[in-house]
Amino acid sequence: MSISTFLGLQTALRGLTAQQQALDVAGHNIANSATPGYSRQSAVLVAAPALHLTAGAVATGAGALLGTGVDIAALTRARDGFLDLQYRAQAMQLGDASTRAALLAQAQTALSEPSDDGLAAGLQSFWNAWGALANTPTSAPARQVLLDGASDLAAGIRTLDGRLAALQQQAAQQSSDLLGPSGVVHSAATELASLNDSIASATARGESPNDLLDRRDLLLDQLSSLAQVSVTPSTARPGALTVLFGGSATPLVDGDVTGQAAVAAWPPVLGSNPGGELGALGSLADTGAGPLASLRADLSTVAATLVSAVNNAYTAGGTLPGALFSATAGNEAATIAVDPSVTVAGLRAGTGAAGSNDIALAVSALRDAPAGASDLYGAFVARVGSTVANAQHGETVAQSLGDAVDARRQSVSGVSMDEEMTSLIRFQRGYQASARVLTTMDDMLDHLINRTGIVGL
Amino acid sequence: MTMRITDATLIRTVLGDIAGLEGRLSSTQARLSSGKQLTQPSDDPYATGRALGLRADLAATRQHGANVDEASSWADVTDNALSGISDVVSRARELLVRGATDTVGASARIAIAEEIDQLASGAKDQANAAYDGRYVLAGTAVHTPPYTPGSDVFGGDTTAMLREIGPNTTIRVNQSAGDILGSGTAAADGKLLDVLRTISAHLRSGVPADQAALGSSDLQRLDATADALGVLRAQTGAVANRLSLAKDRLGQSEQTTVTALSNVEDADLAKTLVDFSTQQAAYEAALKAGARLVQPSLLDFLR
Repeated sequence: MSISTFLGLQTALRGLTAQQQALDVAGHNIANSATPGYSRQSAVLVAAPALHLTAGAVATGAGALLGTGVDIAALTRARDGFLDLQYRAQAMQLGDASTRAALLAQAQTALSEPSDDGLAAGLQSFWNAWGALANTPTSAPARQVLLDGASDLAAGIRTLDGRLAALQQQAAQQSSDLLGPSGVVHSAATELASLNDSIASATARGESPNDLLDRRDLLLDQLSSLAQVSVTPSTARPGALTVLFGGSATPLVDGDVTGQAAVAAWPPVLGSNPGGELGALGSLADTGAGPLASLRADLSTVAATLVSAVNNAYTAGGTLPGALFSATAGNEAATIAVDPSVTVAGLRAGTGAAGSNDIALAVSALRDAPAGASDLYGAFVARVGSTVANAQHGETVAQSLGDAVDARRQSVSGVSMDEEMTSLIRFQRGYQASARVLTTMDDMLDHLINRTGIVGL
Repeated sequence: MTMRITDATLIRTVLGDIAGLEGRLSSTQARLSSGKQLTQPSDDPYATGRALGLRADLAATRQHGANVDEASSWADVTDNALSGISDVVSRARELLVRGATDTVGASARIAIAEEIDQLASGAKDQANAAYDGRYVLAGTAVHTPPYTPGSDVFGGDTTAMLREIGPNTTIRVNQSAGDILGSGTAAADGKLLDVLRTISAHLRSGVPADQAALGSSDLQRLDATADALGVLRAQTGAVANRLSLAKDRLGQSEQTTVTALSNVEDADLAKTLVDFSTQQAAYEAALKAGARLVQPSLLDFLR
């Protein structure tokens, strides 16, 4: 069997087309070098199926295989699924740690300690006012100062507790905003469902929808900073993914279902330990056992100690009627107030005559009481400080681990300009050379067609 | 496998390094400009607890200082009043010695008795000494005058008035005038007013036995009140001494606490400045290296 005259033209054409496509891919990479979640693509070039020459094609009399140029086998994306899993685990940790650190830092700011205007200073002024009253038990200004100091102290404790409660509400609000019908979780779930459809149909056609896969991975990355994400490929629809979110057994997006019916009933029910930002928000908003609830309980203990110790001294061990502070048991920090029955004139400095000051001395001595209000408040502040320091430390660790995984992922998937420039030159040269082959073939045929067999003409 | 470094990796690394250095610079700058090592509890929770404790100590020490100042003024006024009463006793003794001599006539004795009566009123006036609107010798009944004109009944009480001059340390600052001057006319309590009344009566009576008593038993009783007064004045002096010592101690304690608080809270300026310079140098180096690293690419070398 003889070889077609035009085989060379065909080979050159394949070369031209393949090089051009490879150039297109490099252009696509360069254009998307800054696109979040993009993974670099490459054209996989393979030699085209050889032409089988029958026996006698070569000197030995055997057949041979003649190359027919190049083909593009596939356009692939550079992606390491294992790194994606690691990245999502770290993103979940980081989402949790940074949310905690940010909200707890606000709690710390509300304390404004150590300073001259925090609650510690309020407690000192209160004790000092009793000291001054002990010096001048009959002085109306000293009584007024004391009563104002007591009201300020009670208001300071209530305000601090109110700020901590407001942070709990803020966490609950943030959580319901994220999970709301216009929140990021819903829009991500909606988009994931439609991406599943597109990817499944492309996969059915044997195509590799690289850019759609990148987009889906990016959405999964974003979701994993909000809560734990796990994915399983759908067996019914190759290409589609079933997404489980926040430790829930019901999928957020069901890979087996087409259209928006794949999205879970809204709002989705999360597991008891959803992880990520939503997990942190849930624990901060928890009024029973969360870190903010525990700080509020500590503050209530401070208030309760203050109320009982001062009232005990003020009523001379319960032998006299009337209390200085009133508060609701179990919720002292939110309810502490100067008892409305206390007046400037009626304020007691002592149990005896006008100049007696035994009560004032007893209350003033409470400042040094072991495990008294001042001590407990100091411990409370130190506890807030170490809670915030731990959260910030956790954030730094999660951030650096996440950065390390992301750097490894970028190392696999990121676009390198130098690499793409080199590819451009390589494929441009390949294109030019293929064109030269075409010209050479053309010249050859020109000789054959136009200048052969014209002897004597 | 060697790590493939892409443009995004490079830029992210440069940005991350610069941001980290900026963060450190900013916290050093905050320490420098505030002069505080501790700006929030999370900087060092343990040190914050300690700083709060020291601040409480400082506030307590200052209040104790104010208590001592007030108690000193109280002791001064008390001492002045007792000294006035002491003068009365001395003058009464002079008069008594003169009145006891046989050479003094009956009319002169009556004149002396008149002066003794005036001295008794003078002693009551001294006992009514007040500080800041409060009677210092009335016990805790500071708003009741110890003695009113025309009555020898003591209006105050003998309850102690304490001042806190240190943690769990109190000191009694008041004396009761009733302990020296006595109360009421009925009982012969042997206190100053009673003694003076007796002397006055003996001077006026003209009975030889009374006259004889002037030089013997009356003089002894007057001397006994003088001794009792001396003991009270010594006590007041001892209180003043203790207060003055407490003042010194509180001053030293305040100094020590301020130093300790400064050690915990305040930034070591020299060390912080050195840190700042080091971090600044690192920051500039990172900027320079970043600028060199990010700018060139293969594009610069292709025609």
